[in-house]
Amino acid sequence: MDNQAEPELLVVNMIGTGITAGRDVAPEKGVRVDGVTKRYGSSTAVDNVSISIEPGEFVTLLGPSGCGKSTLLRMISGFVIPDDGDIRIDGQSVVALPPFKRNTAMVFQDYALFPHRTVAQNLAFGLRMRRLPRPEIERRVDRMLEMIELRGLGERSTDQISGGQAQRVALGRALIVEPALLLLDEPLGALDLKLRRQMQAELKRIQREMKLTFLYVTHDQEEALTMSDRIAVMRAGRVEQYAAPSEIYNNPTTAFVADFVGEANLLPAVVAEPSSGLVVVAGRKLRIPPEQARGLVAGSSVSLAIRSEAVQLAPPGASVEPGLAGTVEEVLFAGSTAKVIVRFEGELTLIATLGAGTPLPERGQQVGVGWREADIRIVT
Amino acid sequence: MAGTTITPAASYGSTAQAASVKRERGHIIAGLAPVLLWQTLFFVIPMLILLVYSFWTMRDYRLDYTFTLDNYVAIFTNPIYFKAFLLSLQVALFVTVICAVLAVPVAYFIAKKAGRWRVMLLVMVIIPFWVSLVMRAFAWRLLLGERGFINRGLELTGVIEQPFSFLLYSPTAIVIGLVYAYLPLYVLPLYASFDKVHDNWIAAAQDLNATPMRAFWEVTFPLALPGLMVGAVFCFIFGLGEYIVPALLGGGKSLMISQAIRLEFELRQNWPGGAALSIVLMAIVMAILAVSLRWLRPETAR
Amino acid sequence: MSAGTVKLGRPNPAKGGVALTAYTALIFAFLYLPIAVIILFAFDDKPVPGLPMAGLTLDWFGKAFSDPDLMASLFVSIKLALSSAVLATAIAMPAAMVLAWREVRLRTLVMCLLLAPIVVPQIVIGLGLVLLFRLVPDLIGSPAIIIAHTTLTACYATMILYSRLLGFRRSYLEAAMDLGASDLRVFFEIILPLAAPALLAVMLLAFTDAFGEYIVAWFVAGFTETLPIVIWGSMRGVLSPAINAISSVIIVVSLVLSALSQIWIIRQSRSSS
Repeated sequence: MDNQAEPELLVVNMIGTGITAGRDVAPEKGVRVDGVTKRYGSSTAVDNVSISIEPGEFVTLLGPSGCGKSTLLRMISGFVIPDDGDIRIDGQSVVALPPFKRNTAMVFQDYALFPHRTVAQNLAFGLRMRRLPRPEIERRVDRMLEMIELRGLGERSTDQISGGQAQRVALGRALIVEPALLLLDEPLGALDLKLRRQMQAELKRIQREMKLTFLYVTHDQEEALTMSDRIAVMRAGRVEQYAAPSEIYNNPTTAFVADFVGEANLLPAVVAEPSSGLVVVAGRKLRIPPEQARGLVAGSSVSLAIRSEAVQLAPPGASVEPGLAGTVEEVLFAGSTAKVIVRFEGELTLIATLGAGTPLPERGQQVGVGWREADIRIVT
Repeated sequence: MAGTTITPAASYGSTAQAASVKRERGHIIAGLAPVLLWQTLFFVIPMLILLVYSFWTMRDYRLDYTFTLDNYVAIFTNPIYFKAFLLSLQVALFVTVICAVLAVPVAYFIAKKAGRWRVMLLVMVIIPFWVSLVMRAFAWRLLLGERGFINRGLELTGVIEQPFSFLLYSPTAIVIGLVYAYLPLYVLPLYASFDKVHDNWIAAAQDLNATPMRAFWEVTFPLALPGLMVGAVFCFIFGLGEYIVPALLGGGKSLMISQAIRLEFELRQNWPGGAALSIVLMAIVMAILAVSLRWLRPETAR
Repeated sequence: MSAGTVKLGRPNPAKGGVALTAYTALIFAFLYLPIAVIILFAFDDKPVPGLPMAGLTLDWFGKAFSDPDLMASLFVSIKLALSSAVLATAIAMPAAMVLAWREVRLRTLVMCLLLAPIVVPQIVIGLGLVLLFRLVPDLIGSPAIIIAHTTLTACYATMILYSRLLGFRRSYLEAAMDLGASDLRVFFEIILPLAAPALLAVMLLAFTDAFGEYIVAWFVAGFTETLPIVIWGSMRGVLSPAINAISSVIIVVSLVLSALSQIWIIRQSRSSS
């Protein structure tokens, strides 16, 4: 026992933990994933992942299929038991608890609405399991029907509603139990684009209004960028970067993140002078921002990442820094933007995204390619 | 944070893992235990009892517990038993072949040409199987006897003058009865096999200048072989050990093995003898199953 | 070769599809002829059934339903078949759930044990059981019959339920657990309601099968008489059309029950595949 601690702090600590006396760790809120690993045979699905989620945060696990994001989600919800590590929700270790004892709720990819129950009965299920009194259940179900904008549809059976409505029932069913953590497993995959955008905004709004903690899983990076407070980009069972969307987008720490999120050009480069410049494969020496040069070793191979929106094209002769000369290979018009693929000598290509209204070059045309030095990112 | 012991994160995971494995195993055991215990108690143990009895003998209506192979020797030397086994094998083979031939077109029809009536026809084929065999065999008595439906019908319509006497109480009757009993059983797996043959494979074969007959033999039939084998194995095994049909329709002049068993048990009170016959019958059945499994495994793997 | 319409007929181009249809109709006639005969002669107005028919009457039905022995054996059969059907389904369901949803290491061994009673000849099972019950002679009779039939029907009950449960959407179970349902509550709230049609279908089949089973029942029946045993016994002596009458009723009921059950099972397997 620490004699120097103030009495009030001691009391707060002791009440806060409540399990064993002598633990003077402050009561934590939020979700802590600590060194969680899951192996299937000889392959590792989740490899020593540690992340923490603050209460009220919207966190997304983003990555390609097979990266372990769904496995991690299922470990947090309780359907998979980790081989190593701990998961704590609001200070309590849940790893040994079966799913029905954890204060989490999940929105499933296939919605999993109970077919033998009406919409209202589906919503009420979690509350019934918690043995709330009947009038209270009815009240909350009515309120939830309002919130998910399905008022009046409570008595419908689950095969009488549309896909979008079913998605909202699945959401409502999980929200209604007011979990410490709401888990969403690619819930918008089955919806068409327009509906998906609507639901994304809805989810964000509900999350903020109800001040809930959301953990979202998707492979759609646009979705992740739009909705999340923080994104954990995963690959092969590991978290490559865990930061806010703008940070992930503007300052990717690895080539994979740079490539997966947004459209980045990755140019192979060799470090010439760590203090100032480096050499691009095209033979040209290019300058990079000083912060990017920190920690680089001369002679090492790195990737130079440029966002395709940051690439500038100019007709030959017009000045654009660094002014690499190349030939336009392809122009892809996509409505509000256009992608231009420029080929240099050798096999190097660069993709430039031009906004609406920008005059488009023609195939075969010679162009100069440049960008601002500040837009360069060095990734390994 | 001094003086506290916090269990390292790694062991939380692994202890949880161990606990969940134990829970899982508990569920599996709890679920399988009732059925497995039941089968062990009321199937495996009776079979073992039969085995034990087969090595005893019955002397003067009392059991003699000395271990002996007399019963088995009797089976292999006594011509009655030998004939019974032979008859059973012959009948079973005959029935299997006839059922196969009869069932193939029916199964093909239902699978390929029945359209909307598929489910109904399939159900209509299966449900007689669930009606008590005693009643169905009883019906054949009415049909096959000298005064029976068939003979009288043929007489009344002037087709024949004398009733056929061989129809009932003969091996013919047994074959008819068994074919009747097991035909639905054969149609089912054949139907399942035919169902898997896609129509456009057949169409493709015909497009390549194959006549319908060749298309059938080259494309459809080989793919239906698994169903054929499954039906054949079950038909044969059931035919071997069947009691009701031979007892009701066979007439008693020549016995099938199941009748011999009941004879030993009921009339001669020779339980060990009946047990030995049962064991030999079971051995034959198991041997057939073992052989056919080797046939079926590579087929189903396709 | 005409490319437009492909005639997928029977291997006999000359007669084509008509022969196949006719043949199938013949087979169906063969399947239902004995059944039709029994029902027909149940209405025959003479003491010995046979052609030509003497006239239609309902007398035999009346006789059958007022015969005390016959009725007694009918109720015994119903009672025992119901008991064994319920018991068989009750022990089959947990096993089917485990086999369908969990990894079982000795799976093939378990399957063999479950399928064995089907392939072993019934006379052998009957003999084995009667020798077993010599150790517990008090069980001979109704309890032994229930036990014997449960053993027989639990086999395919487990298999049918197993194949149905394979298509069961696991996410329903996970969603229920996720929302706070313990294992027991998941069973009663989700599994039981959604599997109820399958359970009923299996119970119907088991009931119909156990009801009409003769040979194993005979071995362990002692002095108890089930309807098949009575019918068999009656065939030794004078054939009474009352037996026809009761048989027709049983046959019709059996057909209806198993039709309902089979239609449901087939429909379910098509909707989930």
